Amino acid sequence: MNPPAAPAEILVIDDEPQIRRLLRFTLEDAGYAVREAETGRGGLVEAAHRAPAAVILDLGLPDVAGDQVLRQLREWSAVPVLVLTVFEQESRKVANLDAGADDYLTKPFGGAELLARLRVLLRRAQAGEPANLVRFGGVVIDLARRRVRRHGAALKLTAREYDLLRLLAAHRDKIVTHAQILEELWGPEAKGKTHYLRIFMMRLRRKLEDDPDSPRHLQTESGIGYRLATGPA
Amino acid sequence: MEQNLLSPWAVTPLLDRLRRRRVPLREYGEVLAVIAAVTVLGRLAPISYRALGHVYLLAVVVLCLRVGRWPILAAAVVSALAWNFVIIPPRLSLSVLDSEDGLLLGTYFVVALIAGQLLVKREEWRAAAERAKLLAESERLHRALMDSVSHELKTPLAVLRSAAEALEAGPPERRRDLQREIRTAVERLDRLVANLLSQNRLEAGAIRPQLDWHDARDLIGAARREAEGALAGRTCQVEVPPQMPLLRADGALMEQAIGNLLLNAARHTPPGSPLRIMAGTAPREKRAFIAVADRGGGIPPELRGALFRKFSRGPEAGAGGLGLGLAIVRGFMQAQGGEVSVGENPGGGACFTLHLPLEGHESVPNE
Repeated sequence: MNPPAAPAEILVIDDEPQIRRLLRFTLEDAGYAVREAETGRGGLVEAAHRAPAAVILDLGLPDVAGDQVLRQLREWSAVPVLVLTVFEQESRKVANLDAGADDYLTKPFGGAELLARLRVLLRRAQAGEPANLVRFGGVVIDLARRRVRRHGAALKLTAREYDLLRLLAAHRDKIVTHAQILEELWGPEAKGKTHYLRIFMMRLRRKLEDDPDSPRHLQTESGIGYRLATGPA
Repeated sequence: MEQNLLSPWAVTPLLDRLRRRRVPLREYGEVLAVIAAVTVLGRLAPISYRALGHVYLLAVVVLCLRVGRWPILAAAVVSALAWNFVIIPPRLSLSVLDSEDGLLLGTYFVVALIAGQLLVKREEWRAAAERAKLLAESERLHRALMDSVSHELKTPLAVLRSAAEALEAGPPERRRDLQREIRTAVERLDRLVANLLSQNRLEAGAIRPQLDWHDARDLIGAARREAEGALAGRTCQVEVPPQMPLLRADGALMEQAIGNLLLNAARHTPPGSPLRIMAGTAPREKRAFIAVADRGGGIPPELRGALFRKFSRGPEAGAGGLGLGLAIVRGFMQAQGGEVSVGENPGGGACFTLHLPLEGHESVPNE
C-alpha cells in the first residue's frame, strides 16, 4: 500500500452513480486520483483526452456494449483495463480477456480485492518488458537461459511443461485463457482440448507447488484459464 | 424472473396432457361387449323388440357414465344396427321400419347424441376443476415463496439500515461490531440473490451445462474459497487420490454445488466441528464422486427423501434460509447427467455425495 507520489489517475466507466461514488472513495483513500464516465462513449472520449494510468470498465453499460468499448480502446491504447462483470458469465469474461482486458472482477466484490488487482496491473504496466528472472514461492525461472530452480536446486521440466510455465511467466499475474495456451503450445487443432491443460498443469503443480492439491501460485481461473500469481498470495 | 416466480408449478403441460389423452381401445371393447350382451339377451328372452329397444337405450345411457364421447356415438350406431338387424323382424336382415319404430329409433339417436354432448361437458368441468386446484396450489406455493423471500430480504436490509444509522450516530467503539454485522448481512443477501437466480434459471430450463474437463482439486478449491467466510474456524480436510481422473462437468455448476454443500454443513453443524471433502471413483458403476462429510447431528433416514425438494427445510434448520440450497444442488447435478445423495458419515454426521458419470478422455500427447 504505497501510494505513488504523483497520484496515478484511474478512469472509472460505470453507469451506476452509487458504484462510481464507492469506487471513488476506495480509490481516493488508497491515494489514486479518479476520473469518471457514465457511458462507453464518454469513457472513450475521457481516455483519449488524457491517458489514465488504468481503466475500470463496467460491462453493463447502457450505450455501447463493454467489449465494444474495449475493442475500440485497444485500437490506440495499451492502458491496463480491469473489467467488472456480474454473476456467472464465463463466456463473456473469456471474450473480454481475449479482446484485450487485463483482468476482471465479479460483482459484488470487496474494495481490498479491487485495490490488489489494480496494484498488480499498474506494477506490470510500469515494469514494461518482462524481466528475465521470475520469482515466486521459492521458484526462480530464468527465461533467457531456459532454467528453473526450486529452493536452489535445478528442476527438470519436460519441454512442454517448460513452455506452459514460460507462457504463464511471460504474462505473470495476468490471466492466460485456455484458448491462448492451447493455441500457443499445441497449435490451432488443439482448440477446446482442455484436458491437455488439466493434465500438464497437474504435473507442473506437483513439481513446483508446496501443496499441489491447493496451489498458491499456479492458479486456476474457473472456466477461463490460468494465472501465475507471483505475490505471496 | 417475476413471471417464473408466479408459476412455480407448470400448470399448462398437465392440462394439455389431459386434453390430448387418446381414447383407449378398452372403452370401445366395453361398448361392444355390453351391446352384444343385450343382443344375446334379446334373442334368448321372450320380450318384445320394442321393450328391448328401451333396454338398448338404457345400456347406452349407462355406458355414458363410463366411456368417452366417441365410444358413445359408436354405441348408438352399433346398437341401432344390432337392434334392426338381429331383433326387429324379419331377423338377420335390415328391416324397413314403420313410423312407430322409426320414431323410436330417432328418439334413440337424439338421446345418444345428447348423452355424448353431456360427456364433453363433464370432461370440461373436470378439467376446469383440475385447473382450479392446480392454480390454488401454485398460488399457495407462490405466497409461501413470497413470504419467505420478503422475510429473507428484509432481515439483512433491516440490519444494513440500522447499522448505517448507528455508524452515523453511535459511539465510535461500536464501529468494528457494526462492520461485522454489515458484512454478514451482505453475505446473506449475496447468497440469497444467487440462489434465487439459480432456482429461476433451473425452472426456466435456462441451464445449459457447458461440459468440459476439470480437475476435481480445482473445483473443490474454488468452492472452498467461495465458502471461506462461513467455514472460518473449522478444519476442512481434502482427500483426492493421486490417480483421480478428470471429471466431465460444468465448472461453474460444480463449484456452486460443492459450495452449497459446504455452506449447508457450516450452517447446520456445530461451529468448529470438522469437515471432510473426498473425491474418488466407483468404476463398477462408472461414476465419479465428490463428497462432503460433516460431524453434525446427521439426517434421519425418513427425512432424506424430502431434503432435496425446494422450500423443504429440516426440522432443526433454525432461522433463516429459503430451503433452496439443496434443491439447486440436485438441479445442477441432474443437468450435468449426475445426481446427489445423502447418507451417514461413519462415526456420526451426514455425508452428501455428488455423483457424475465417469468418462474417459482421449489420450494426451506426451510431448
